Amino acid sequence: MANGNISVIKIKDILLVTVPSDPDDMTVSQLQEQVLYAMERHSARGLILDISTVETIDSFFARTVSETVKMVALMGGLTVLTGMRACVAVTTTQLGLSLDKTLTALDVDRAMEMLATALDNTEGRT
Amino acid sequence: MNSHHGGEMVIDNENDIVMARKSVREAAVALGFGVTDVTRIVTAASELTRNIYVYAGSGVMRWHTLNGNATGLELVFEDHGPGIADLSLAMQPGYTTGKGLGMGLPGSKRLMDEMDVHSEIGQGTTIRIRKWLPR
Amino acid sequence: MATQTADYTRSLIEASLDPLVTIAPDGKITDVNAATESITGCSRTELIGTDFSNYFTDPEKARNGYQEVFREGQVRDYPLELRHRDGRVASVLYNASVYRDEKGAVVGVFAAARDITGRKQAEDALQRATAYTRSLIEASLDPLVTIAPNGKITDVNAATESITGRSRQELIGTDFCGYFTFPEKAREGYQQVFREGLVRDYPLELRQRDGRVTSVLYNASVYRDEEGEVVGVFAAARDITERKLAEERIRQQSREILELSTPVMQVWEGVVAVPLIGCLDSQRTQQFMERLLDRIVETNSPVALVDIMGVPTIDTQTAQHLIETITAVRLLGAQVVLTGVRPAIAQTLVHLGIDLSGITTRSSMAAGLLVALDLLKLQVVKKSDTR
Repeated sequence: MANGNISVIKIKDILLVTVPSDPDDMTVSQLQEQVLYAMERHSARGLILDISTVETIDSFFARTVSETVKMVALMGGLTVLTGMRACVAVTTTQLGLSLDKTLTALDVDRAMEMLATALDNTEGRT
Repeated sequence: MNSHHGGEMVIDNENDIVMARKSVREAAVALGFGVTDVTRIVTAASELTRNIYVYAGSGVMRWHTLNGNATGLELVFEDHGPGIADLSLAMQPGYTTGKGLGMGLPGSKRLMDEMDVHSEIGQGTTIRIRKWLPR
Repeated sequence: MATQTADYTRSLIEASLDPLVTIAPDGKITDVNAATESITGCSRTELIGTDFSNYFTDPEKARNGYQEVFREGQVRDYPLELRHRDGRVASVLYNASVYRDEKGAVVGVFAAARDITGRKQAEDALQRATAYTRSLIEASLDPLVTIAPNGKITDVNAATESITGRSRQELIGTDFCGYFTFPEKAREGYQQVFREGLVRDYPLELRQRDGRVTSVLYNASVYRDEEGEVVGVFAAARDITERKLAEERIRQQSREILELSTPVMQVWEGVVAVPLIGCLDSQRTQQFMERLLDRIVETNSPVALVDIMGVPTIDTQTAQHLIETITAVRLLGAQVVLTGVRPAIAQTLVHLGIDLSGITTRSSMAAGLLVALDLLKLQVVKKSDTR
């Protein structure tokens, strides 16, 4: 599957990445790389991973997302996962996948608000 | 309807994992499973198909309708890989192999109604999972 | 000398309890003994010279009998029914052979009757009893079947024919387990009977010829021969399809009641609330979780107030499900405020080692609502009095 399925939009210093509905393993791995390089390229401080079209989250996907969040954090960024479907939330929880250190928001708007607040706070400290 | 619907696919490359998810999704939806149950079944299938690819290199996934007093879907994952050395260990949540990955077995079991695992060192593994339509 | 032998023979003949008779080639009785007189109720003078076959319920059969002796030389255990003068009938078996003169010419037939009336009556009684048992078996609405130790069907009744959609000829001699959706389970079932002597309410699913499946419960036990040796298994199936349908109806109603009793309501923009009432079992909690998550997504509500004041007790499994629900809500991007935690529940949760420290909890839903508003950065302001 091609890279083109992952859309990356820059809004000020926040990147909005929309994950395709049923990405294969290669796409998921590439997502991680693309995201990190995009964060660097645009000096982004916030990342919104929109998974509203994702139909299945298995352990591979969950692990890759968890890793990405940590990697972004190491690069000084903050990630918010948005739009998880109800059926996916149920399954992911039952599968026992730990995405629970990740910030989540119901939709992109709220994610933006959340990041704005968080990043302002960080700003205030420095 | 008591007819035998089913299918089979060979798993021998990474792309087959997503193909397997699609086939299983189709089968589960056709059988009338609700959205959440379809997600459960597809997720379990994804885990077990990936196991075949990662640990055995190649194998087969089969699926068929179960008819009885209730209707259900059975998926069978078969490979001739190294086998699972310690099944009880593999079934413990949090277990990881040397590749830094869990085998997704306890999770898959939780998502499904029934799971049977037969494995022999050096011979291979066959895993059967079943989910029944709610009655 | 000859007279002595003759006398001796005569006494033997008279002493015999078996009715003895000699028959001439023309079928007439030439001699009888006392036992014959008594079994026919006629005197020797009445009997001698009359047709042998007259004294039987089936004269033709009697005639064929002695004619066979003349032809073949003897006859063994030839069954006939002898009629006494007073009408009583005795079942007898005739053993007869020809007897010859000094020159070897056949003079007549010497026939001895063995009265088997008693035995015949016993056989008839058994026959009737068997017929009676058979009709009980056939009349039974429950499919009955007997299974040999090798797992093959040895006998069936009409109900079995109809439930399997196959005739008795097709069924007998075939494998019992072949008619079930899970043959191994059926095999384990009858093996258990052979091992333990009986099995009660063993559930199986029978597949009929047309593919239809029927749920049944098997009750089976071993049956033995006169020596006490196990001959096979006698199994009776109870069709529980109706019962299962009724159970399904009840389940359906429970689901409907459940939905009515745990409504997930939107109490404010961005806040959904649900009072949980009653005992939470695995299935209920699962259903509740799915509905709560759907509502949250539907209404785009970041806060879910879950009140458990109406839940009297909580066990480990329910607590796990509750934690799962809270985790799943978090994954969506919302959060749960748990309210109404009563002392008993609080104790149980801590004793079970369940960690709810990451979850906001309040004693009442009202208090929970304040938390919700706060999370949404909302504030309740009293209207100023304008007088």
